Formats: sequence, structure tokens, C-alpha cells
Amino acid sequence: MPRAGLVTLTAAALVVAGCGSKQDALSPESGASRGIATLWWKMLVGSALGLGIVALILLAAWIRRNRAGVPGVREGDRVALGVVIGLGIVVPIAVLSGLFVFGNVFLIRKTTMPTAAAAVRDRPKLTVRVVGHQFWWEVRYPGTPAVTANEIHIPVRTNVRVLVSTDDVIHSFWVPELNRKIDMIPEQTNQVLLYADRPGRYRGQCAEFCGLQHAHMGLYVFADPPAVFRRWLDGQSKPAPAAGSRLFVDKCGSCHTIRGTPATSRVGPDLTHVGSRTSLAALTIPNTPARLREWLRDPQRVKPGNQMPRVELTDAQIRRLVAYLEARR
Amino acid sequence: MTDFAVTRREPSLGWWGMALFVAAEATLFGVLVATYFYLRFKNLEWPPQGIPEPKLGVPLVLLGVLLVTSVPMQLALRAANAHRLGAARLLLGLASIVQAGYFAMQVHEYAGDLGRFAPADHAYASIYYTLLGADHAHVALGLLLDLWLLAKLARGLTRYRLNALSAITFYWHAVNVLTIAVTLTILSPSL
Amino acid sequence: MRERVERLERIWVARPGVLGWLTTTDHKRIGLLYFWATLVFFGAGGVEALLLRTQLAQPNGDVLGPDTYDQLFTTHGLTMIFWFIIPMTTGAFGNYLIPLMIGARDMAFPRLNALSFWVFLASGIFLYVGLFLGFGPNAGWFDYVPLASRLYDPARNIEFYSLGLIFNGIASTLTAVNFIVTIFKLRAPGMSFNRIPLFCFAFLAASFGLLFALPALSADLILLFLDRNLGMHFFDPAHGGSTLLWQHLFWFFGHPEVYILIVPAFGIATEIIPALTQRKMIAFPLVAIAELLVVFIGFGVWAHHMFADGLPTTTLVFFAGATAMVVIPSTIQVFAWSSTIFTGLPRFKTPLLFIVGFILFFVIGGLTGVMFVAIPFTQQVTDTYFVVAHFHYIIFGAAVFPIFGGMYYWFPKLTGRMYFERPGQISFWIIFVGTNLLFFPMHIVGLLGMPRRVYTYPGGMGWTAYNAIESVGGFVTLAGILLLFGNLVVSYFRGAPAGPDPWHGPTLEWSVPSPPPEYNFAVVPTVSSAYPNWDEADREADRRRLAEGVGVLDDGHEQVVSTLVDGEAAEVVKMPHSSPWPVLLALCLSGMLAVLVVEKFAVAAFFAVLLALTLLGWHSTEPEAE
Repeated sequence: MPRAGLVTLTAAALVVAGCGSKQDALSPESGASRGIATLWWKMLVGSALGLGIVALILLAAWIRRNRAGVPGVREGDRVALGVVIGLGIVVPIAVLSGLFVFGNVFLIRKTTMPTAAAAVRDRPKLTVRVVGHQFWWEVRYPGTPAVTANEIHIPVRTNVRVLVSTDDVIHSFWVPELNRKIDMIPEQTNQVLLYADRPGRYRGQCAEFCGLQHAHMGLYVFADPPAVFRRWLDGQSKPAPAAGSRLFVDKCGSCHTIRGTPATSRVGPDLTHVGSRTSLAALTIPNTPARLREWLRDPQRVKPGNQMPRVELTDAQIRRLVAYLEARR
Repeated sequence: MTDFAVTRREPSLGWWGMALFVAAEATLFGVLVATYFYLRFKNLEWPPQGIPEPKLGVPLVLLGVLLVTSVPMQLALRAANAHRLGAARLLLGLASIVQAGYFAMQVHEYAGDLGRFAPADHAYASIYYTLLGADHAHVALGLLLDLWLLAKLARGLTRYRLNALSAITFYWHAVNVLTIAVTLTILSPSL
Repeated sequence: MRERVERLERIWVARPGVLGWLTTTDHKRIGLLYFWATLVFFGAGGVEALLLRTQLAQPNGDVLGPDTYDQLFTTHGLTMIFWFIIPMTTGAFGNYLIPLMIGARDMAFPRLNALSFWVFLASGIFLYVGLFLGFGPNAGWFDYVPLASRLYDPARNIEFYSLGLIFNGIASTLTAVNFIVTIFKLRAPGMSFNRIPLFCFAFLAASFGLLFALPALSADLILLFLDRNLGMHFFDPAHGGSTLLWQHLFWFFGHPEVYILIVPAFGIATEIIPALTQRKMIAFPLVAIAELLVVFIGFGVWAHHMFADGLPTTTLVFFAGATAMVVIPSTIQVFAWSSTIFTGLPRFKTPLLFIVGFILFFVIGGLTGVMFVAIPFTQQVTDTYFVVAHFHYIIFGAAVFPIFGGMYYWFPKLTGRMYFERPGQISFWIIFVGTNLLFFPMHIVGLLGMPRRVYTYPGGMGWTAYNAIESVGGFVTLAGILLLFGNLVVSYFRGAPAGPDPWHGPTLEWSVPSPPPEYNFAVVPTVSSAYPNWDEADREADRRRLAEGVGVLDDGHEQVVSTLVDGEAAEVVKMPHSSPWPVLLALCLSGMLAVLVVEKFAVAAFFAVLLALTLLGWHSTEPEAE
């Protein structure tokens, strides 16, 4: 219990610090995303140069527009042809070749999962499996019973393999501060490398239009010091603390699981440790009793078109469920 | 009336229009064939369990029969160019009859296949029936063009009808070539 | 001479009234029909965009709910691409100008041309009926499966999508065939292949693009229709199908499509530049080849839209290489255009201003396009607003700006009046500022992590201010566009008379009266260069021939047909003129597709029979007796 509290406090501190609520590709937090961001800045400079040259030619044309000269329905102009070939063919070929080689031979090694042939210290130490749903993320840790939703914890400064697939339509797993995106498609399991330079909370979002609530399918990746991560994973692997709830099994068991109770459905997110999560409904609302009450009253009002229907509940039932769920840490 | 020398006969505008239409249709078939092979290499078993492999005999014979009709079609065009209308009508009629017979047999085969497996069974069946269906539809269109042309030629030969014959002959050559590609693709699991 | 011209006018007279417009086969009238119809669709697409921008102006906006938003953003994309840009460039500009530029009296297939228009119009009505009924397409303009499958999108929305696009594709394919045969065969004698105006090269390239790309889209849409309505499994991995198959087929069409969108705009630019700088285009052969090459190479890059899909690295690298190659024809053209302006004597009138704006937008959009050569970068920014910025810089900046410039440039030719210059220039600047405000910040929010196709976004992400600026930019752009059209309307009624050649333009349309007579040219023009209207000797020769009554071709609706490469006269043909069959055929086709939406296959078959009968009627008349 105190350990979970420590994790939550750290997360809260990070939130307060403003860090972790953005998903900014230009604030890289790993080697992969830093490589991409650095390339971006270089390409920006190069582009400004290219635009500048063209703009200069046009500006010069404007400046000298009223010069006295031959009304020129003339033939070819050697210098101009040289410009077309030089700046239009030779220079672009050189620049493109450089960009191609740098991006697709060198940088791509940083953003791609190290292969089985890579050095031992580079191979991924942990595998996380994420399954996309309309409109939430199912998160499993193969080799353990741990199941959670919309939040991933990984040990900091460790190569992590994230295996992705989908249960319904195409989604895309994307945490820009840590690496590029990877689509989650039905016919094959894809993978992406996650690595975080320092502890913190990193925000991600589904990046392939997946239906009505595509806009509200966010996720958090928490990079924890290894010991903290281990404690978290152990906690998530256990079944729910204390007893079950008859009310929960009746009203919610047809879609949700709380491990250790008769509620075992996998239609919706696993709620075994929902109390320990920072947010609800894939980052649509923060995880507070008030917002959870609102959600239970009518999920369709909070996130219209999401897959959870409105369930008939009295105010008293809602209060009991909120207390029960918030205690599942 | 004109001060420039009007020179040689090139293919008519109508022929050009047909040639480009054929190019678009050929691309369509190319895409469908590519789809066939894309799906094939995504599947370990092709055809899947429960769907029989295609038989080679009848389809290949029918293909041969169809290909042969290119000969009377081309000869009909030759005859028409030489103003031998009677010969042209005869050859066109002969080709049409054989093409119609081909089409009837293919419909029979298609129906027979439908009795054994349905397009909704598996992607194999879906592309099988769609690719074949597209080919047969183009043959059917050719038959309609033949009928129209025969009716027109019954009333004599004009430049317009001659251009039509050249365009339709080209259409049939194209359909025949496409049918080779389609047939070989459909039969590929058994080849 | 007068009586030869009068004879031509009698032969080529248009039917009066509404019936005249319904049965027209005249490329100029068809061009105008396309012009007005596409403007209506442009307005619709623009309203959709402004609604989207209003919703996104603030975080957690509640102007539009997700379902409405999804239909609007999908329909916005579809409308702008398929019902505005392509029909405006090909249907309006291409139709009106190509025969005039090559010295012909009409397209090779005038009735087919009319059919294209009516089918196009019907397809747009079809799509918008769907939208107004609440069944607008809602899975994005690229409509990925499984989201677009029956399971996840059970209502009729996707039928409006697939049938609407198939319908629209038929119109574009027919137009492409018409353009190619016309440019190949109907050029005035003397216009050998290397003397074809660059505008026509561009439209030739776009037409080949349409011809070979649309079948992939049509196939994809048919397969989708079959999956959704006949239970087939092309896209269903559980039964041997593949969701990536949809994407491959779609993008095999979709990438050439974007070149089809801009290459005609290149064509417009390469006409305005020589005219307004009084200078022949630098590196004319390179530019012509570049226009063809960009479409050709563009067929080989499609999977760069799929870099995040999980395809094998070798595949990705191949497509990145092809993507690098496709840049070169564009850089050639950018420097050819710029150096022509620099070495000429530019008159910075409104049309040239729009072309300068176009060049700048195209360079910016092209540079962000070049960035996509680096696969990891693409994998970071794909499906974010960075891509939305990229393609709007290209589509709005590099396709729409030349369209606006072209409207001003050819306004005197179509109407016989000159537009008002001052408001024209002001409209340019307002639109230029507005579009930069609207689209530039999108690069930034995309890099800051804002994904595409989101109906709202939370506060505190660093996106809010940029979105607000973009929304303001949208309305500024609207103001500029309203001024532009207001100016054209007022100029139509009050502008100074323009005469045939206010710009001293290089191509043949400037050698005929403004607006051109129904028969375009009184005599078949003499051509001996790529800039025929600058060849005073040839134009003088035409006047002499008219006076002598030579080359008038007034024994019916006559048109000379030339050889493909050398442009030597081969024969004289009779053209159809005015026919009810195209609009009737379009009605049958509409009926057929409309009932397919509601899966009444038997009724559709009935319409197919009607279609066949109409075709018989169409071909029952043969060209005027020889």
C-alpha cells in the first residue's frame, strides 16, 4: 500500500511539475526520439536554405522587374539552364542521397528494435503486450498475470519490447517522446522499441483514426527506477486486495474483470487495480472519485460513442462502486 | 477546301478511345491479379481446407477456344478493309457464335463451382469468383458489342462501321490476352 | 471571307435555352458547367472546413459531436479532392482550354465529354444526399478497413463512399481518355509533339495518371462493396483476407492521385509565366519531361503512406528510395519557373502574384515532403497535423493558387472583359496571409504531438494557441476568397472590354475573339513553334487563308485529325454537335448506382438494361454523311 502510494505521489509530482502531460516529439526522452528530433532540426535548417534560395530568385525578379531590356521572347539562356540543372538536379540528388543514407541506414538503427543478433546489453529486457480496442489500451506483461489498461510501466534506461496488435480496428501506438509510432493491425503482431532516459510520465495517443472516440484514446508510459517498477509489477500481478463485491459482479461483471472475484469478462478493461491508475477512460478523465461517479452515471455523456453502455445504477450504488473501485489499488 | 495534304490513314479516333479504355481495363485486371497473389502469399494453405483445387482440363480447353476466335475477328477486319462485306459479316458471325458458346460454357462452370464453394467462404473463394466474374463480364460485353456490330453491318458498310469493327476487334484481342492472364492465375494452385 | 465566317456560325449554332445546356457537347460550355458545379462543391468543402476549424478553435470544443465531425472531415477531404480540384482543373480548365490551345474545334469525343460532366454532377449529388441524410462517409477519405467494414460501420455511410467514388471515377476516366486522344490526334497541322503547349503536356500526364491509377481505387471500392454486402472476405484476416490489402490498393491509386491534383496546376503556371514575363520557358523540354516523369515515378512510391504499418524494412527502404527520386522532376520545374521569371520582364499582375505564391507554397510543401524520405522521421510524424500541414501547403498552395491565378488570367478570354486589378491583388494578399496562418502552425502542433482526425483535444498540451490561430486563418482565407469571387462577378458586369489578347499570350487561345466563337477557329491555324501566338507570320498566314477561303472546313462540323508524332494532317472528320444521349445515359447510371446503395440488385439490373438501350440510341446515328 505505501509503495503504491509512493508511485502515485511521484506521478502526481511529475504532473504538478508540468512534465508528462505533453506528447512532444521535440522534447525527446530517449535516444531514438532524440535522433529523430535532431534530424528534424537539421532538415529545418536545410529547408530554410532551400526556400531562401527560391525566395531570393523571386525577390530579385521583382526588384529588377522594371529594368530596361529586350522584351524577351528569347530562346534558351545558358546561365538559367545551368541553374535549372545545377540547383534542380545535381544539388537535390546530393541532398536526397545524404538524407536517405543518414535516415534509412544510420538513424533507423536507433529507432528499430535490436535484433536477436545484437549485443546482449542491447537486447530488450522486458516485453509488454498492448492490444488496441475501441477506445482503450489493454496492457499485459507476458510471463506474469499482470493485466492493466491505459497505462504502461517500464523500468527506466532499459530497452523494452512492446508487442502490439488489435482486437478490432486499426489503431496506432504512439508515445512521441520515446519513439516513433507503430500501427496495430489485426493480421500481424507488430513491435516497437521503448526506452526512457529518465524516470517520468510520458503521454501517448492513438494515431490511426479508429472511430468516434479516437480523440480520447490516450495512454501513459511511466518509466520507473527498476526497484519501483518491480514493486509495481508485483502489485499488479496479484489478484484484487480483499473481498469481491456482489454489486460489481452483478452490474459490471459482464464486461470487466477483477481478478480473484467471479467477474472475469475481458470485453472491457481489467479493473483489478484500477484504483492505482492516474486516469480513466484512456486519459479522458482523471481518476478521482468525483469523475468516476460522473462516468458511472453515464459514460456516454463523458465519452459519447465509447463501448461502455449506460448501466442503470442508483446514486447509492454508484457511491458504493466508486468506493470499491478506488480501493482496488 | 483544304490547303494541306491529307495523308495516310492512321487508326481512327474510335480505335484510340477503345485502346485507352482497354489500357484502363488491363490495369484493373492487373490489380485484381496482384490481389490474388497478394492474398495467396498471405495464406499458408491455398486453396484453404475444404475448397477443391482448380481442375486444369476444361478451363484450358475453353481458353484455347476463345483465343482461336481472334483469328476470324482479325480476318473479318481484313475483309472489311478490302470492302468484302459478305466475308466480313460471315467471319464476325462465326467468331460471335464461338464466343457465345465459350461464354455459355463458362457460366455453366461458374455455376458448378458455386455449388461446391461460396465466395463468402474464404478470401480464396472471394478473389476466385471476382476475378473470373470480371473476365466473364468483359466477354459478355464483347458479345453485346458483336451483336450491335452485326446488326449495323447488316445494313451495309460505312467508314464509321469499319472503325467500329477495328475497335471491337482490338477489344477482343485484348480480352483474349487478359483471359490468358486470368486463367493462368486462377489455375496457378494446380500448375 | 465574311460569308465563310457566317456559314461557320450557322453550322455551329448552339441550341437555345436550358435545353441547349442539357444537350451541349461544346467543350467550352461543358467547361463552364464544370466551373460552376465545382465552385458549388468548393463552397461546400469550404463550409465543412470552417465548421471543423470552429470546433477545433478551442480545446474540448462542443460545437460538433464526434459523429458529425467524422462525417464532415471525411466529406471535406473527398469533396475537395474529387469534386473540386480534379474536376476544376480537368473538367473546367482542361475542357475549355485544351482544344483552343491545340487549334481544334472540340474534344475528340464531344458526347463523351458531356457524359463525363453529367456523371460527375450526379456523383456529387449522390454523395451529398448521403451526407444530408446523415449517412455521409465517416471513416476518413482513405477509409481504412476494418473500421470501414460492415462490422464497425454497419449503416449505409460507406456505400455512399464507395459508390460515390466509383461514379466519380467513371467521369474522370472518360475525361482522361478524351484528353489523351484529343491531344494526340486533334492538333493543328504543324504542331508536332515537341510543340505541344506545356499546359497540354501537364494535362496529358494527369490524364495518364488518372487512367492507370483509378482502376486500383475502383477495384478496392468494388472489393469493399463485395465484402460489406455479399459477405466476401478480401479484407478479413480471419478468413484469409488482409487489411493491408485495402491500403496497398488505395495508396497505389492515392499517391499518383496527388500528382494528378498538382500537375494540371503546374500546367496553368507554365502558361501564365511565359505570358506575364514575355519570355519562353527556360528548359522547355526538361519541363515537359518533368511533368510526365513526376506522374510516372509517382506510381512507385505508394507505400510511404504505410511506413508505420509494420512492413519489412527492405520494403520501406525501397519506397523511401523511390520517394527520393520523385522529388527531382519537381525541383527541375521549380528552378525552371523561377529562372524564367527572373530572366523575363515580369508584370506582377494578379495572375503572376498567385503563381509566385504557388511557387513558395510548393517549395515549402515540397520540402516537408522531402523530409518523408527519412523513414524514422515519417514514422514519428505520420498521422499527425504535420502531414495535414504538408498536404494542405501542396493542395491549397500548389493546386488552388494556380486555379485562382488561372481564373484571373483567362477571365478576359472567357468573358471579353478585364477584371479589376487592385481588388485582385488585395484578394491575393489576403488569401496568401490567411492560408499561411491557417496551415503553417499545423506543422508545429503536429510535432508537438497532435494527431490527425481528432474531433477535439485537451487543454494543457501546448496546442491551444496554434489551433486558435489556424481557425482565425481559416476565416481570413474565406474573406480573401469572397473578395476574389466578388471581384470576378463585378468585373463580369463592369469590367473594361478586353479584346482577344490582353496579355500578348503565347498560345492559340489568344488568337481568337474573346469569348471564342462556338467553332473556335475560322481556319485551321498554321503552327510552326511551341508559342504559336507569338509567331506573327503564321497568324498573318491564317488571315490570308481565311480571306482566300482555304482551310475553313465548313462542310458540316468538321475537324482535322493529325498524326500522333509529327502533327501532319491525316484526315478530316465530322463531329457530333448537341445530343440528348449523354444526359439520359447519366440518368440511367445514376439510377443504377442509387439503388445499389439500398441493395436492390434487381432494380439495378433494370437500370442496367435501360443503360444498354440508351447506348444503342447514342450509337444509332452515325457522323454526317460523307
